[in-house]
Amino acid sequence: MPEPIVQIKDVRKCFGTVQALRGVSLDVAEGEVVVIVGPSGSGKSTLLRCINRLEEYEEGTIMVDGMTLDRTSNINAIRREVGMVFQSFNLFAHLTAMQNLVLAQCIVRKRSRQEAEQVALALLAKVGIPEKARVYPAQLSGGQQQRVAIARALAMNPKIMLFDEPTSALDPEMIKEVLDVMTSLAREGMTMLVVSHEMGFARAAADRVIFMDEGQIIEEAEPSDFFLNPREERTRLFLSKILHL
Amino acid sequence: MVAVAATIVLLVLLWPVPFRDLVLFARDGVLVTIVVTVSSYALMVVVGLFGGLGRLSKNKLIFGIASLYVEIVRGIPLLVQLIGWYFASPVIIQRVGLWLDLQPLIQYRANPIVTAVVAITVCYGAYTSEIVRSGVQSVPKGQMEAARSLGMSHFQAMRHVVLPQAFRVILPPMGNEFIALLKDSSLVSIVAVADLTRRGREFMAAHFNPIETWFMVALLYLILTLVAARVVSYIEKRSKYERY
Repeated sequence: MPEPIVQIKDVRKCFGTVQALRGVSLDVAEGEVVVIVGPSGSGKSTLLRCINRLEEYEEGTIMVDGMTLDRTSNINAIRREVGMVFQSFNLFAHLTAMQNLVLAQCIVRKRSRQEAEQVALALLAKVGIPEKARVYPAQLSGGQQQRVAIARALAMNPKIMLFDEPTSALDPEMIKEVLDVMTSLAREGMTMLVVSHEMGFARAAADRVIFMDEGQIIEEAEPSDFFLNPREERTRLFLSKILHL
Repeated sequence: MVAVAATIVLLVLLWPVPFRDLVLFARDGVLVTIVVTVSSYALMVVVGLFGGLGRLSKNKLIFGIASLYVEIVRGIPLLVQLIGWYFASPVIIQRVGLWLDLQPLIQYRANPIVTAVVAITVCYGAYTSEIVRSGVQSVPKGQMEAARSLGMSHFQAMRHVVLPQAFRVILPPMGNEFIALLKDSSLVSIVAVADLTRRGREFMAAHFNPIETWFMVALLYLILTLVAARVVSYIEKRSKYERY
């Protein structure tokens, strides 16, 4: 079996006196789609943010694509390989959709403007909004903004994509357009870690579902097993709340 | 603005004595006021940018130096700072010169305009630092995170993502700063800079006509600030997000 592309070993993290992560270990294989669920405050987003070091952690190790994220390693090198999509989109408000996609390609990947714009146009077409290239984020709907944000992350040709509750800030009718993009990305073999409560997406695209609570991984299973036969009592309680059984 | 300009022209044409004489006498003073204002402002922007970013630095030393600078300078009147720079700094430089035995330092004489520009820059730089700091803080944290997650360095993210957005927030208070600085530049008249205010005093002393003199000086300041305000609002309009 090849080396996992993400290796998380016994990671611990505190916010003041609150223990956000209490020893989390997780391996993700190349091309795998992992969905992380859990109640709010369970540490799912923190774990995701530790993978590209937007959050520091106190103990444990995280290896991404063979590189260790310790304090001396070049964090920017890892961030180039790891794309991230945020709950609040975080599109650059002073730039058009096109410029949002072009900026980092030019200054981080050192691509020519012409090449970067070709990549950007192709990706905007892929997420279904090529006609919005010259439009500013404030003029786009939430779903469109999130699709631009996904395209922006993809423009860097990441090996791994992290999604931090990508549909939580969206109106119901816009959720599907974002999930469709994510599902097709999963089918193309992208390695994805997704914090989301979209059970439809988890069933359709995930290879593995992980349930976190109080900073620990409680249970992990294939989607079908996870939803039909959860082993742990806490998982059952959580599922009964979100699935309205 | 047009009304003020028309009043000035009318006064000059209808009563050449004293108004035409005053305008001719004080025009180099107007020039000095503009030069002092514009050069202090340009330097102040640079100082404020570094000061403001210093106030946001995670490095305790940089943060400490920037905070000390802002806190001290903000609490001392500009007039006191001006007099201090003008009278105390040459003596300090001369003493250092004597100590190091360096002739150019011993013979140092304060250039009034340079001293005035330095004093105003230091003082207004502190206010500007606070404007820059609040402007940068007004940009949502997610913007920096998104930029960093794409692999940009902290500096690149600041330069390409955060500062361009902060700039639009900073612009209106920076316009106010320019107008306030233009008016406060009249304080330099007490450290031997022949600006508009000082030329006015000289004219009044020679002709004993305080009412006419200060009415005209006030009008000249007013026209300068009104023009500045127009320029500021033009720049503000230009820098809005397109079709935003």
